[in-house]
Amino acid sequence: MANRTDPAAKSIRGTNPQNLVEKILRSKIYQNTYWKEQCFGLTAETLVDKAMELDHLGGTYGGNRKPTPFMCLVMKMLQIQPEKEIVIEFIKNDDYKYVRILGAFYLRLTGSDTDVYHYLEPLYNDYRKLRRKLADGNFALTHVDEVIDELLTTDYSCDIAMPRIKKRWTLESLGALEPRQSALEEDFEEEEENEDNEQPAEELEDKAHEKDYYRGRSPARERDRDRRRDSHRHRDRDYDRDYDRDYDRERGRGRDRDRDRDRDRENERDRDRERDRDRYRLREEKDYGREREGRERERRDRDRDRGRRRSYSRSRSRSRDRKEHDGGESRKRHARNSISPRRHGDGAEDGEPKKKKEKKEKKEKKDDGTDHPNPEIAEANKLRASLGLKPLRM
Amino acid sequence: MIEVVLNDRLGKKVRVKCNDDDTIGDLKKLVAAQTGTRADKIRIQKWYTIYKDHITLRDYEIHDGMGLELYYN
Repeated sequence: MANRTDPAAKSIRGTNPQNLVEKILRSKIYQNTYWKEQCFGLTAETLVDKAMELDHLGGTYGGNRKPTPFMCLVMKMLQIQPEKEIVIEFIKNDDYKYVRILGAFYLRLTGSDTDVYHYLEPLYNDYRKLRRKLADGNFALTHVDEVIDELLTTDYSCDIAMPRIKKRWTLESLGALEPRQSALEEDFEEEEENEDNEQPAEELEDKAHEKDYYRGRSPARERDRDRRRDSHRHRDRDYDRDYDRDYDRERGRGRDRDRDRDRDRENERDRDRERDRDRYRLREEKDYGREREGRERERRDRDRDRGRRRSYSRSRSRSRDRKEHDGGESRKRHARNSISPRRHGDGAEDGEPKKKKEKKEKKEKKDDGTDHPNPEIAEANKLRASLGLKPLRM
Repeated sequence: MIEVVLNDRLGKKVRVKCNDDDTIGDLKKLVAAQTGTRADKIRIQKWYTIYKDHITLRDYEIHDGMGLELYYN
């Protein structure tokens, strides 16, 4: 009875508001002592008092995933569904930062896209520290603006899946929102004028915390750099799916220097690919189209690997007749090479010593096991590499 | 390399290849990649012992072919 939603409450995103929290977590909250004792019969006013007593935020922690009081209060808000004005008051209040975060979290879950951006973005200026409880039970330091960033950019926070909201530039192009005004706007422009080369501006981007979704507004240099970098990304990788999210997250996080490193790596790869492109096109036309091979090739480019024969003979198909497929390919390749004199000529041109050196290089460099002869193991190693784990040890 | 079987008794049975010096956290990531759940939503148990994330498979004496129970948080 205490767990039923207020019958007068509206349905959020087509469902009972409490269903925004998924089943397992919801059950955990209902069984929690804090919920049973403190959250019984709370109204909007008494909820404020409880919220003022909060001293940390977080999701679930411990081996059996105990929810934090923050979670219980979020659940309570979903249950009683306070008015929008009340939620905005929560957000606007300056004294209690956890009340603010609670209001922001609730608004992110239940508010419309425009509201979310409109009310949460001013909170970027709040730099106060917060205590966050991690999954293993320890506390970590975070800040209000970091949490807001997480709410606006990621789709998962405090063990609750956030509803999807439209991207900022979509709303701006619809005219529902004004282009974003950063509080650091003037500082940024000043620095832009002072410096000439790109590197300091890149650092400023890091410092500025600026999620400048709307590309048209960024200064010219930045725009060019971004266009070059982003079109580059588009071309190479299958970024289409995650394009927006990655782009936004990288721009917004503003703390990682990865972007510099990425750029350097991409430039290097670009150079290598240009050099090797013709040679590859001449030799292995049939594999040129396959995207996966293309990605493999990029990695090999970086390693200056010329022993392509070995990689291309490895079939990526998981079907049982893999052996036939494999054998067929290699047989075909031999035939092809022996027929065409031009290709043979090219091979001879490169010279034997180069091949030997490449083979040695390749053996030294491939330490993540993705070139293992057994395709299942190679596949597993690829997955492990993408997760950041070491390769399988036989 | 060992291969561990995780079963949630509701239809999800997953075989995962891993090293014995991988931690349980790594194993959860591999399982998440295969099942599509999030890694932090997965709980690996053996009867009532919940396996902790920072301990290796070797320390838990998980051998090749062993079955573990898959639960969700």
